[in-house]
Amino acid sequence: MSTKTPGEGGHLDRDKLFAARLHAARARPYLATALFALHTVESKQVPTMAVDRHWRCYVSPAFVDRMPVEELAGVWVHEVSHLLRDHHGRGDRVARERGLTGVGDRLRMNIAADCEINDDVYGDGLVAPKGAVRPWRLRLPEGQLMEEYLSGISFGPLTLDLAWLDCGSGADGLEREWDLGPDGADSLSEQERDAVRFRVAQGIKAHPGDTPQGWRRWAEEAFHPPQPWRDLLGAALRSAVSGSGAGDDYSYGRPSRRSAGVPGAVLPSLRRRPPRVCVIIDTSGSVSDGELGSALLEVAAISHAVGGRRDLVNVLSCDAAAGVVRPLCRAEGIPLVGGGGTDLRTGFEKALRSRPRPDVVVALTDGQTPWPSARPSCRTVIGLFPRPGRSRARRENNPEYVPDSPPAWARVVEIGSANGAR
Amino acid sequence: MPMTAPASASQLDVAADLLALLRDSTTEPRPDSQLEALTLAVAADLPVLLWGEPGIGKTATLTQLAAALDLPLTTVIASVHEPSDFSGLPVVGDDPATQGVPMAPPDWAVRLVRAGRGLLFLDELSTAPPAVQAALLRLVLERRIGALRLPPGVRIVAAANPRSSAADGWELSPPLANRFVHLQWTHDHETVVRGLGGTWPRATLPRLDPRKLREAVDFARRAVCGLLAARPTLVHRLPTNETGRGGPWPSPRSWDMTLSLIAFATAAGSARDVLSSLVRGTVGDGPGLELLASLDRLDLPDPEDVLADPAGAVLPERGDLRQAVLDGVVAAVRARPDRARWDSAWAVLVRALETGAPDLVVVPATTLASLRQQDWDVPAAIDRLAGTVALSRRADRAAVASKARR
Repeated sequence: MSTKTPGEGGHLDRDKLFAARLHAARARPYLATALFALHTVESKQVPTMAVDRHWRCYVSPAFVDRMPVEELAGVWVHEVSHLLRDHHGRGDRVARERGLTGVGDRLRMNIAADCEINDDVYGDGLVAPKGAVRPWRLRLPEGQLMEEYLSGISFGPLTLDLAWLDCGSGADGLEREWDLGPDGADSLSEQERDAVRFRVAQGIKAHPGDTPQGWRRWAEEAFHPPQPWRDLLGAALRSAVSGSGAGDDYSYGRPSRRSAGVPGAVLPSLRRRPPRVCVIIDTSGSVSDGELGSALLEVAAISHAVGGRRDLVNVLSCDAAAGVVRPLCRAEGIPLVGGGGTDLRTGFEKALRSRPRPDVVVALTDGQTPWPSARPSCRTVIGLFPRPGRSRARRENNPEYVPDSPPAWARVVEIGSANGAR
Repeated sequence: MPMTAPASASQLDVAADLLALLRDSTTEPRPDSQLEALTLAVAADLPVLLWGEPGIGKTATLTQLAAALDLPLTTVIASVHEPSDFSGLPVVGDDPATQGVPMAPPDWAVRLVRAGRGLLFLDELSTAPPAVQAALLRLVLERRIGALRLPPGVRIVAAANPRSSAADGWELSPPLANRFVHLQWTHDHETVVRGLGGTWPRATLPRLDPRKLREAVDFARRAVCGLLAARPTLVHRLPTNETGRGGPWPSPRSWDMTLSLIAFATAAGSARDVLSSLVRGTVGDGPGLELLASLDRLDLPDPEDVLADPAGAVLPERGDLRQAVLDGVVAAVRARPDRARWDSAWAVLVRALETGAPDLVVVPATTLASLRQQDWDVPAAIDRLAGTVALSRRADRAAVASKARR
């Protein structure tokens, strides 16, 4: 039935190509918008199929001839995934951050991006094309991001046979000789690209049940990439410390130095009262020392930057009972005692009773605790270590136990949720 | 001894010559969507907040904008001022109990009011302490400084460094953030290199077309009301998570600003990219993108028009939009089926097949075929759609083969 088209010097078998796209769109309805938005460009320079950042898809006629329709559908989904996941933009960012300039580095990026896609797009009605890079072939774990795979990929015996691989500038950001460039015909403008990605993400969010985990994560983060928690914690702490009654602000308590020059005017003056920060640390067994250490150092550094002194940061370890409030004078001298269940309410009580009173309370916890019922008398920042599986496990052991979510009066920052690579 | 004085003076003259040579640069016209967005927002009399890393030419841009709009530029570095500089300096008079204490405005505000027009540039907004930000709130929203009221000819632009680069910065409070159009300011590598080589871009500023004004307002109202009627939850949504703080968020106030911006962009004939950065900078990414998506749908041809004239219909080039039109046409036939409309829809599908990718036609053709009624003959045009049936079968076979290979 299939029309035999001569591969050498022949023309593109459009029917085969588009039948494959139709199959891909039926197998993955949530990607249909993106698949149909691609402009196909026939090109004999492309080894297989490649995309550019302007959503053009370059297709080699010979490649279409030698691939079965079902594998070609997998290639369609693979190529459109590069664009949806913004691999070219992320590739550029990684290249800048890590100083990767060579062509070889871009090839490694392409392989890493392929690993990110291939570990969850195939199966369930879609066949993986022959030769698709899988993480396990490179002895890498599954389910990671391009940035994470990148550091694990080096050229060696495992990657020798991948040197032909080329998904185009849409996959790694490096311009190819066949690219039509930003001024060529049929390109999607930045706004149109965002619109397509947005529609796909909306479609996935509307029917989360039908989509694999990787795509759901992508849809959640497509337009709200997770920010590095250090920045967020810093901003939360800074704004807590800067509120009225803490830190530096204007005060009419003393006249401004300008008053001498403006006779008759009453001016406020800028006064600084170094903020006192009390850190409550959840020392129940579930939080690792490494996580706590890095978060605590961060709190100390931020409070130092906003004008506090090391000796104004107090630390209180707390499990079911609260420990002793101690000043944080040396980073390594933090005594962390505890290990049982958690009840942060006693920790809050003790922190607020300590003299001098803290301006800000920072609680570092995994959130598996009851919270104080009333708003504490000072600003509160909660650094939350996410524990996806743990809460369910606890609930199964003790059906009555329902952990409260962090209260609305606190500013909550998820710690360690983003590695800052994006 | 008197000989040394002219020698050093001439050294300074030579230095001045060298400086003059260094500053001698030309400009060339180049489209710049960032500047176009900024100009439109300033023209619409909305306060703009430029977010950008330090040292990428925000101030230079403002100088250029002021020159282009023929407005005198007043720069105020917010972070080195005190709150009383914006709320007025209380001056105790002879008898405060009867006369009250007037709030005296600073000199730059007086000059601005006297001139009656100007561009007020509030630099370093994010590093201003919270009390200063609170005082600025009144200036930005009510345009009041102490006892003075800024005249309507004064436009306000502010600049801030993003949280990541402002090491000791404060974040913007949500009420202040909601009053601004947030524009992300980035530098273009090529522009910088050419500029340092002596040629800076001269942006051609958007011009409002006086004949399009009414139409622009109608369009803007239809776009915003259409979306908000269908999605009531988008009207007001205070940022709840840490990432959204300090940025744009939707509220009736910012939707009102969006409405003005759409009208201005339409009257100026601006590209969608420009409108996109304006809208997303006013109500935030999510609601902004939803609005843009609904604008895209407003742009598509009306299914009834396409049915009325299948031969003359212009179908969009982009596959996803084209499919949306074809689906719309079939849905229109389904809503009001009759023989002539059914035939006409087949003609549209044939045309789509001849001018674009065949896989887009498969689903609409299947649906349209199912709408056939007993006494309707199959139109002759349907023969030309036979290829799509083969295509569909081929995709079905691929699906079976995929299952078998698992």
